[in-house]
Amino acid sequence: MAKVLEGPGMGLMKKWGIHVPNYVVVTSAEELAKLGQVNDWLKRSKLVAKAHEAMGSRFKLGLVKVGLDLDGAVSAVKEMVGRLVGSITVSQVIISEMIPHKEEYYCAVKSVREGNEILVANCGGIEVESNWDRVKRLPVEVGQQPALEALEKVVKEAGFTGPLVKRMADFAGKLFACFDNEDAQYLEVNPVVARESDGELVALDAVTLLDADAKFRHPDWNFQFAAEFGRAYTKNELDIMAIDSKIKGSVKFIEIPGGDTAMLPAGGGASVYYSDAVVALGGKLANYAEYSGDPPDWAVEALTEKVCGLPGIKNIIVGGAIANFTDVKKTFGGIINGFRKAKADGKLKGVKIWVRRGGPREKEGLDAMRALKDEGFDIEVFDRYTPLTDIVDKALAGK
Amino acid sequence: MSILANKDTRVVIQGGQAGVNAARRMAEFCYLIKRPLNVEAFVYPPDAGKTNEIPYGSGLIAVPVYATIAEATKHHPAINTSLVYIGADRAMKAGLEALDDPHIHLVSMITEGVPEKDAKLLGAHARKLGKVFNGPSSIGIISAGACRLGVIGGAFDNLVLSKLYREGSFGVITKSGGLSNEIIWICSQFADGITTAIGIGGDAYPGTDYVTYLEMFENDPQTKAVVIVGEMGGDLEERAAEWYGAKKRRIKLIGVVSGFCQESLPKGMKFGHAGAKEGMKGEGSARSKSEALQRAGAIVPPTFGALGPAIKEVYQELLKSGQVKEVVEPASLPKLPKTVEEAMKADEVIVTPLIRTTISDDRGDEPCYDGYPASELINKGYEIPHVIGLLWDKRLISKQEAEIIKRIIMLSADHGPCVSGAYATILAACAGIGLSQAVAAGLIMIGPRFGGAVTDAGRWFKYAVDNKMSVDEFLAYMKKNVGPVPGIGHRVKSLRNPDKRVKELVAYVKSLNIKTPCLDFALQVEQVTAAKKDNLILNVDGTMAAVLVDLGFPVDSLNGFFILSRTIGLIGHWVDQKRQDSRLIRLFDYLVNYAAPKRREVPPLK
Repeated sequence: MAKVLEGPGMGLMKKWGIHVPNYVVVTSAEELAKLGQVNDWLKRSKLVAKAHEAMGSRFKLGLVKVGLDLDGAVSAVKEMVGRLVGSITVSQVIISEMIPHKEEYYCAVKSVREGNEILVANCGGIEVESNWDRVKRLPVEVGQQPALEALEKVVKEAGFTGPLVKRMADFAGKLFACFDNEDAQYLEVNPVVARESDGELVALDAVTLLDADAKFRHPDWNFQFAAEFGRAYTKNELDIMAIDSKIKGSVKFIEIPGGDTAMLPAGGGASVYYSDAVVALGGKLANYAEYSGDPPDWAVEALTEKVCGLPGIKNIIVGGAIANFTDVKKTFGGIINGFRKAKADGKLKGVKIWVRRGGPREKEGLDAMRALKDEGFDIEVFDRYTPLTDIVDKALAGK
Repeated sequence: MSILANKDTRVVIQGGQAGVNAARRMAEFCYLIKRPLNVEAFVYPPDAGKTNEIPYGSGLIAVPVYATIAEATKHHPAINTSLVYIGADRAMKAGLEALDDPHIHLVSMITEGVPEKDAKLLGAHARKLGKVFNGPSSIGIISAGACRLGVIGGAFDNLVLSKLYREGSFGVITKSGGLSNEIIWICSQFADGITTAIGIGGDAYPGTDYVTYLEMFENDPQTKAVVIVGEMGGDLEERAAEWYGAKKRRIKLIGVVSGFCQESLPKGMKFGHAGAKEGMKGEGSARSKSEALQRAGAIVPPTFGALGPAIKEVYQELLKSGQVKEVVEPASLPKLPKTVEEAMKADEVIVTPLIRTTISDDRGDEPCYDGYPASELINKGYEIPHVIGLLWDKRLISKQEAEIIKRIIMLSADHGPCVSGAYATILAACAGIGLSQAVAAGLIMIGPRFGGAVTDAGRWFKYAVDNKMSVDEFLAYMKKNVGPVPGIGHRVKSLRNPDKRVKELVAYVKSLNIKTPCLDFALQVEQVTAAKKDNLILNVDGTMAAVLVDLGFPVDSLNGFFILSRTIGLIGHWVDQKRQDSRLIRLFDYLVNYAAPKRREVPPLK
């Protein structure tokens, strides 16, 4: 799942015929002022300014301002751009028109095993979250489109009446078309509002999650995906993502500030069990990392350097299950090079390294790791006869 | 017994190199269990009509490659299973092609990064047809002692260590590929091993889930217990729990779920597999999954580390109740033949080398010339003549010697377009011939009459000096035994029109105050011969030869100096013609003396 910010998310909905408020994404107050000279709506409408970044609680942080005129919006942009919040510097602000409305509704499409589900409710905003039973669902089988009658039926079930039935059914149909054609995994519009001027339904706020794996068939996805956990990716994370996108196999890296146990395990499955073991023993993770699918040694080396560069770490867990086809000697070669570089750069002082692994050429790989002792590394190496996560127990035993 | 994959499974692999690698691993397993290779065909349009060579034991099996599944199953009607190793952007088409073939009942997709929508479509399509679609992102399926599909099980040694050559009593279902091997290993260490292990892939909506396979295991009398390895995200583990708790089941269920660390990490953090993401409202967490499994009566060890002992306990109970018997291991197992390199490393074979070299070695990170790494030579200021000294005479020559060699190369690099070598290269270049062949055409001209007299000149001057001959004795000897003296005489140059190259080289060498017995002797010979005939002067071949012999180069290497230096010129001539886009040339009639008989009538054939 890949999260998309409001700007590009609204762009996709507009593409599929869904009404969205007029909006612009700007990086400076000057840019907005210039846009104001050529876009009438910016002068006529009441405006909302929101920091266009992947972060939660924007309202509380003062990064959402409503009811502005153009001048107010320009000064709001001035105020927001460049503000440092946690690890994120606000670099973009989205300005959209406020849509005068009385009623708020809810509409979403989500992916489920049997296909997809269309969700509608005749309440929206915070109200729907506290009245989840008012959400009505229309399952759509894999590969099928919802019939108009079925849409109207579920809309009626949700309590819509009169001309709104057709309008909401039409809105849900378009949202489904957007979801289906854009390889979305989750689309949620909350609220959907009826515009006072013409009664048209407008998507006021939306969550857009796309399937990043489908990027190959969407050449018009010219936007970056946003981090999914309420902060922007760090430079180190972006570096590893850039490598990951280029190679056979994969390397993954996420930093967790404040931890002291660094992770460098192999395998998407095993890496999580290693993380669990650290947390279960009261350890503090300094990162999540994983390499798998027999990645090139230089990619593992780059990952190792990032792991060694984490501040304040005491242990590095080089764990892994018994590999199917990942060459243990080759990937360990990358890790060893990374360790050597880190040591030459004065890192790894007082850091203990714990290794457990099996798989093709396990003996050669483990022997090479053991030989690091002679180079002055503080390293303990275990083979398949030591259960998977026991190295975590040993590493944290001193705590 | 086993599920899904058995002794009758016959496979087509859709894909290129990754598929071939998988076939190799599968062949290793077939060899271990003494069964014929279960891969009958590949489907990979770019290689259609070719064969892939798959090692089996010490032999090679040629497996044909087809353009379509239909062709493959037409020629190999026993095929009932397809493994898909096609890239994510084409995986769905490949999967549908396999599912739609009436011969094929099981499709397992190894491809990672398949769009969720495509995976769901494939799964739904298979269910509609009553077939099994396993994956995407599946590491494969293995039934101990019967059938391996994909690389699951890992290297040959691991197959043996994990006792995959014979059946055990435990079924395994995992999302993770790496952990599948770990669980198989644990089952072989803490119990009697596995029946079948299946990687369902870590995607959010795999084609088949735990329940599909739990049903199958429930109906397989050999399987007594099933281990499932789950992770946070989705609801597959909850579904498994629901199935297990729904009624009394024959099989015991042991389950672990990963992702407890989520509770102390930023929300929504994405870990490892595509399917590993927590739901919007706490659903799909590791804790809720573990609790669901526990409530359904499954054995849920608190950590991954406790899994081995839990499996052991189940096995002991099965033994006690007589449901399983102690396993008798086979007396011997086939050993995978070693490659020659592996056998040599283990000191098990002696190989007579095919060739022997004494000058260079390329086995490290860079070539070494006579033991010296090339980069170190460069960094310490050595130059091309030193490399020549190392490779031609196996010695590190002095600065002074290097300077002489450099001058020799510079003096004989080219001699204009008219001489045999350059002319041949130009002629070839004009005929559109490529660089190496055109230069070779020029080099072929080097011989007794053009440039190739250096070795012979050196040989005879050295002979004279070694045998302390006088010039007269030498000339008499040559006249009687050899013929004209190599290195003496020039087509156009003479005493009055001397070859400046010779003068230059002689003057430089003489200025160095080194001992040059051969050169001195050659110059004495010239005095005598040139007095007899004006153009019997010491030519450039002879001069080079005498100097190089004086420097100690082996006689047999001497022509090499001319060949090397003239190659520079020949390459230049080829590039020059190419740059000008020269046209094909031929001789003009008037340049030929047609001395053949006049046109005449052909007599009747007798």
